[in-house]
Amino acid sequence: WNTESKPNYGRSDSYRVATTQDKDDRSPKKKKGAATKDMDDLKKEVPITEHKMSVEEVCRKFQTDIVQGLTNAKAAEFLIRDGPNALTPPPTTPEWVKFCRQLFGGFSILLWTGAILCFLAYAIQAATEEDPAGDNLYLGIVLTAVVVITGCFSYFQEAKSSKIMESFKNMVPQQALVIREGEKVQINAEEVVAGDLIEVKGGDRIPADIRVVSAHGCKVDNSSLTGESEPQSRSPDCTHDNPLETRNVAFFSTNCVEGTARGIVICTGDRTVMGRIATLTSGLETGKTPIAKEIEHFIHIITGVAVFLGVTFFILAIILGYSWLEAVIFLIGIIVANVPEGLLATVTVCLTLTAKRMAKKNCLVKNLEAVETLGSTSTICSDKTGTLTQNRMTVAHMWFDNQIHEADTTEDQSGASFDKSSVTWIGLARVAGLCNRAQFKAGQDSLPILKRDVAGDASESALLKCIELSCGSVRAMRDRNKKVAEIPFNSTNKYQLSVHETEDPNDNRYLLVMKGAPERILDRCSTILLQGKEQPMDEEMKEAFQNAYMELGGLGERVLGFCHVMLPEDQYPKGFAFDTDDVNFQTDNLCFVGLMSMIDPPRAAVPDAVGKCRSAGIKVIMVTGDHPITAKAIAKGVGIISEGNETVEDIAARLNIPVSQVNPRDAKACVIHGTDLKDLSQDQMDDILRNHTEIVFARTSPQQKLIIVEGCQRLGAIVAVTGDGVNDSPALKKADIGVAMGISGSDVSKQAADMILLDDNFASIVTGVEEGRLIFDNLKKSIAYTLTSNIPEITPFLLFIIVNIPLPLGTITILCIDLGTDMVPAISLAYEAAESDIMKRQPRNPFRDKLVNERLISIAYGQIGMIQALGGFFAYFVILAENGFLPSILVGIRLNWDDRSVNDLEDSYGQQWTYEQRKIVEFTCHTAFFVSIVVVQWADVIICKTRRNSVFQQGMRNKILIFGLFEETALAAFLSYCPGMDVALRMYPLKPTWWFCAFPYSFLIFVYDEVRKLLLRRNPGGWVERETYY
Amino acid sequence: MASTEDKPANKESTSSWKDSIYNPRTGEFLGRTACSWGLILLFYLVFYCFLAGMFALTMWVLLLTLDDYVPRYRDRVPFPGLVIRPNSLDIHFNKSDPLKYASYVQHLESFLQRYNDSTQQGNEDCPPGEYYIQDSTEVMTKKVCRFKRSALSLCSGLSDTNFGYSEGKPCVLLKMNRVTPTFTERFGSPIQMQYFPIEGRIDKMYFPYYGKRAHEDYVQPLVAVKLLLTKEDYNKELAVECRVEGSDLRNDDERDKFLGRVTFRIKVVE
Repeated sequence: WNTESKPNYGRSDSYRVATTQDKDDRSPKKKKGAATKDMDDLKKEVPITEHKMSVEEVCRKFQTDIVQGLTNAKAAEFLIRDGPNALTPPPTTPEWVKFCRQLFGGFSILLWTGAILCFLAYAIQAATEEDPAGDNLYLGIVLTAVVVITGCFSYFQEAKSSKIMESFKNMVPQQALVIREGEKVQINAEEVVAGDLIEVKGGDRIPADIRVVSAHGCKVDNSSLTGESEPQSRSPDCTHDNPLETRNVAFFSTNCVEGTARGIVICTGDRTVMGRIATLTSGLETGKTPIAKEIEHFIHIITGVAVFLGVTFFILAIILGYSWLEAVIFLIGIIVANVPEGLLATVTVCLTLTAKRMAKKNCLVKNLEAVETLGSTSTICSDKTGTLTQNRMTVAHMWFDNQIHEADTTEDQSGASFDKSSVTWIGLARVAGLCNRAQFKAGQDSLPILKRDVAGDASESALLKCIELSCGSVRAMRDRNKKVAEIPFNSTNKYQLSVHETEDPNDNRYLLVMKGAPERILDRCSTILLQGKEQPMDEEMKEAFQNAYMELGGLGERVLGFCHVMLPEDQYPKGFAFDTDDVNFQTDNLCFVGLMSMIDPPRAAVPDAVGKCRSAGIKVIMVTGDHPITAKAIAKGVGIISEGNETVEDIAARLNIPVSQVNPRDAKACVIHGTDLKDLSQDQMDDILRNHTEIVFARTSPQQKLIIVEGCQRLGAIVAVTGDGVNDSPALKKADIGVAMGISGSDVSKQAADMILLDDNFASIVTGVEEGRLIFDNLKKSIAYTLTSNIPEITPFLLFIIVNIPLPLGTITILCIDLGTDMVPAISLAYEAAESDIMKRQPRNPFRDKLVNERLISIAYGQIGMIQALGGFFAYFVILAENGFLPSILVGIRLNWDDRSVNDLEDSYGQQWTYEQRKIVEFTCHTAFFVSIVVVQWADVIICKTRRNSVFQQGMRNKILIFGLFEETALAAFLSYCPGMDVALRMYPLKPTWWFCAFPYSFLIFVYDEVRKLLLRRNPGGWVERETYY
Repeated sequence: MASTEDKPANKESTSSWKDSIYNPRTGEFLGRTACSWGLILLFYLVFYCFLAGMFALTMWVLLLTLDDYVPRYRDRVPFPGLVIRPNSLDIHFNKSDPLKYASYVQHLESFLQRYNDSTQQGNEDCPPGEYYIQDSTEVMTKKVCRFKRSALSLCSGLSDTNFGYSEGKPCVLLKMNRVTPTFTERFGSPIQMQYFPIEGRIDKMYFPYYGKRAHEDYVQPLVAVKLLLTKEDYNKELAVECRVEGSDLRNDDERDKFLGRVTFRIKVVE
């Protein structure tokens, strides 16, 4: 990357709108097919030609009349031909497909296999035996129920979150004023057809793409389409070949800010410019969310283990001489034991809980999995307007009395104030208040001034609010100084003036006030007001003015100059007829009062939030359609370009050398202009993104935003994009997580986003990141907890098959653990507080930091799980021994034990047992094993609370977890002691002492893990950490 | 363009796949060096040895608490089950074909070896009609009441070595499960048949049973049933249900079909 190749770098003048022109020039070098198609489509010239036609031609084309509009019959005909004027919602997956996905995705396939094997086994039994045992049928039904219920649960969770989105769709139908058969009628915007003659006025949303035929001071806000924040005027004349830039076309879904216009509808629905972008956006493919990848990875591991063990033991069983039927039943048991049935539901619930918590903090999550994505975000591409800034022009600085004064720009007016006692200031305030057409809308007296709605353009509103805040009611001021004449702002004069009566009833002079572009104002002034005294404008003052103007302009602020003059009474007596068309009064030799500069100031919470992002290792990139100077000023203001960091241009300016001589590596920050961006190759782009920590992209077009996002993703970053306009939506969709603005955001952007910031505040993203990181940690804990109990579930089966002991734990009891007792504690871990400051560490590396890694498996399966299994087996041996079957005779007893025809099986004490009698003991063992797992899981949930800290450091403040401990114990007791359970689930009451069998093992788990964590903390980076820190 | 970009990636992935098994550069096998494998395996060895020790300790404590003579809990076998000999619930034979019933006869013969009068000679001749209670705590080895094979008379296999199978009137032995402290009273069957001993009564003197260790040579009292089948009963499958009746016995458990009762089928072919 060579700076020489970019002569325009950082140039602040001559920024022409960069919309389609940029797109056309971009060389097509995209690798993915889908992306290429999208890009090509975007690049296509907007197929509107009507702006170049005369009004008559347009009328002819649409068979309409310039006065009468369409006939009702024609309108109806067109409506049938073109369909309603609405954007086609993005293709949604049919509900049944979604449902099936839940029903057959994840572990469900494995469980379905289990269920089918159960039914198969039962069918074989039914065919071969006279009185088949219902066990397999029963288990098959239970498994089916489990799959269906968890499937339904996930489906409804998903449906719920998609419903939230639907609530965002505007339910109130938009209205449009059309003229048909010469009559003005208010109809639903959906019924507008091409050729309709419509009327829009300030405040309306434009219902379709229209060719303007007449306009009165009409200005539209195209920001949602182009990102251009400045309102643009509309008139019937074609001013540009490009339909996006010509003045005589107004676009669907943009807003008319002021004035009125009448036009002919040329495109409706999806054929509008907005519709095209929306369709493109919905066609953009999005990758899987990181958490979805993690869960898939995890499902693969577990499924792999389950299938491997199942098949191994199936073959082993056949070799050991078991019948096919028995081998199949073992297979089912192993599958059921291996699959953490409740885990996916737990993950869904955990994510839902976090999503709810985030919604409380103004982050609305549309897609559950996006909850975590924000946590792994390593780059945030933030839009400027509205997200980083308040989206409200505010007076930031003033220059009067040859001094720059700072105005308070904070949202709550907590900032510093300036000296308001100067006479010059009073003069300046009077000019700004009087020479101003903006006014507060009625009925807002109770609202704070800054919150009030203003009718008028952004600069005038800013002035109005500033004056209202510092000098009291502007309305009263205007009442005291009646306006007698006015020349509105126009682009040739570049000024606005008005003539007023004075406040003093005895003073019959008129006051002329003027504001406008500072250099034009200065040209008309011969004197300057200093400390309330008029003094001649000398060269020194002119230079001071130039310096101030440059300084304020350098801050990215829009500067206006103000001047006034008291018209001499002899020339302009009371009642003088001021002619504003053919100016018959003095407009030069005025008295310069001061400058006021405005900016859309950063939100108060943003600098702090950007700082947090930085300490959390997240790179914040500003991507804006605004001017580089303004962008840079705001970037510096909010810390995206941090203090002391310089761009190449800054270094060049400081060292007074040409930009080309500066080593680009010396500059950490850079501001890149959209026109330069389009000349960059992919490598240069990567180079910029890699080598600069603080980047601002200014004057970017929608596709460039897309390119920036793709560039970051190419470097392995997980990218969050914020934006509000339609122009942002492709980037929002492409990003790993798109964040739309709830207040200012357009519908299309909200549709494309995964998350919506209800308060439009960048700081909310930081909260989201924090929550996302927390849930990732907590999901790890939750999964570690749930997976651990797989070992005590699977080992009974293995020993049953290998050493022929009576089955220690049945399939039904396994389901009771997975779907019963384990659920609440696992979910409660989602409420666990963070162990350390999670905003102080780097974002996780999606390639290295897995949700489930080998260390987690090692701990859960190899260590804690084994201790748990021993606890369960101990309880099992205790029960059998205390009932007469000592461990020594158990090995190999299974053949007789499970033989229905053996009804006098002898135990160690010579007692003889019928089949049913010993089965009751066996089921009591299952119950005891189950209770033992609950007991060891107490310890497990407590150790899973933390990954590094001791429980004594973390405390037991998680109330849900404490509830979970009691809940699982109560549930276990209920399952054991509730009458009828012996029939329903074959669980039997335990003697109280049997509850305590697993206690030593529970204690061992706790001690073992505390010691492990102690070693882990003592030796950071040591062997214990490398092998066991998950 | 896409293909040129994909190729190196593919190569890389194949080599990394091979590397994941054995990486010659770092000497890693399955992602670990020999040293790393050694450490982790050593850890698991020590860890599992420790766990095994812990488990052995708890099991040892468990065994210490157990009584050698009686199981701690006997509430899972409060009532004895009932089984038959020959040990088959489907007795199916041709009375004129000795090969068909030889297995039954052999089974009965071997089962009755312990009841041989010579073996039983050493046992106690207990007073009939009352429980033979030996609650002395000093003498742990309990005496056994004599049950002579000859008491089964026609079904003893002494007079008729074919246990009636050759004549189509087969004998079936009914045996009540040993359960430690149960007292049973009377034994009966709802179907009219010939019982040995007479009336199919089991004497109280054979109870209680003091467990394998204390009551080493204990033999359960038996009841033999001679099924007096007639010509009409041949070639048909007959279901026979036997129930034991007594004051402390249950024979009507819904789920356990062998608790105090037994149902078997018999089919004799001429």
